[in-house]
Amino acid sequence: MSNTHTVSLAEDCGSFLADGATALEYRHRAIDPYLSFCEKVTLDFSGVRTANSSFMNALVSGLLENHGEVVLKKLVFKGCKPALAVLVESAIELGIRKSGGRITA
Amino acid sequence: MPRATIHHPMNHIVLPSQIHGARLLPFLALLGRPLSEGDVTVDFSKLRRVVPAAIVSLAASVHLWERQRRQVHFSGVHECEILGYLQRMDFFKACGVEMQESFQRWESKGRFVPVCMVTQPIDEMGADVAGCLAPGGEDYEHPMSGLFDTIAYVLTEVGNNIRQHSGGVGYAAAQVNRQEGMIKMALADNGMGILKSFQSVEAPWSMSTTHAEAIAKALEPRISCKAGEPNEGVGLTLVGEMVSIMRGWLLVVSGNGVLISRRDGSRTLEELPEGAFYQGTLVAMSFPETAASHYADHLRKAKIKSGLLHPGSGRAILEP
Repeated sequence: MSNTHTVSLAEDCGSFLADGATALEYRHRAIDPYLSFCEKVTLDFSGVRTANSSFMNALVSGLLENHGEVVLKKLVFKGCKPALAVLVESAIELGIRKSGGRITA
Repeated sequence: MPRATIHHPMNHIVLPSQIHGARLLPFLALLGRPLSEGDVTVDFSKLRRVVPAAIVSLAASVHLWERQRRQVHFSGVHECEILGYLQRMDFFKACGVEMQESFQRWESKGRFVPVCMVTQPIDEMGADVAGCLAPGGEDYEHPMSGLFDTIAYVLTEVGNNIRQHSGGVGYAAAQVNRQEGMIKMALADNGMGILKSFQSVEAPWSMSTTHAEAIAKALEPRISCKAGEPNEGVGLTLVGEMVSIMRGWLLVVSGNGVLISRRDGSRTLEELPEGAFYQGTLVAMSFPETAASHYADHLRKAKIKSGLLHPGSGRAILEP
């Protein structure tokens, strides 16, 4: 098993990401399980046209809440258009706040 | 076509000739006034001009009355000067009324979005509405792409709130006024309203507050009616900030509460006139078409202004 894992948001969830419940289910199924044994997990947003805060917060902030801030060393956000990058950074801030600065994975 | 029957004067709602601007609140008060038992008649004969906010709130109210097992009758429809417009906006269709049309339907793209129910997958609805108001904007390189993104963002965040919190049925509609260069969008539901939604999750502060104050609270960051994933309570906050950054106008009505955010940045809380009570929530807005083109920048500013993003704090590993 490779120690890197890449998911394509466009292929798996579509090019228009707006539903927090979809993001949550996807995170539990396609991202969470890989964080414990992969050195690097890439969230590839290539082909994603647009997203909203509901989707991105459900996808990203929970990762920090569940795995701690250290997970940021493993996560790579690929192919983000400028607005998607804003949503990612904001979701990370939210996750850090919710994790209470927890460091452990 | 529903029968034109008048039952009780209180239940006979004569739509005024103009429902836009400052005349919207008196109209909502008319919809929200107490009704007697029995059927409801809506008289369209005087109606001459109407905005999307009025159309969706009327559609939501009609659905509410029917849910209350009232028969709803439409009268004066053929005397209504804007019958064709209401038909093109699919108002009657949204109310479950089939009518013959004496005109040719033209392409609505770039002009208006007919009334649609907020029940379909929210991402599909967002893409459809944004594509309709900003044709071509689906392409990231297109000049309309910023407007497309802005509309999609606002619509899906408010639509998510309706689906997750209202417990009712929601409607959306929109229009482009090319002369004024303004986008007008509105979403209305006939659910429990914002205050009751907070009370349903036993938010302690909500037990002794007003509808207007609950609306103001909903616009604060990280205040959600359903705490925890996937609700972070930032949707309406960011919508409010983005509309404000674009120097737009925002109206939120829920229960007897009214919040108006004006183009000059001022914000007021008030109550519906005449002791009226709007069952559900209406979110209406207008903003300049051109201002919406700087979507990513506006989103960033809205996040910073709401305290959800701190400049220079980037922690993500971003790869091209």
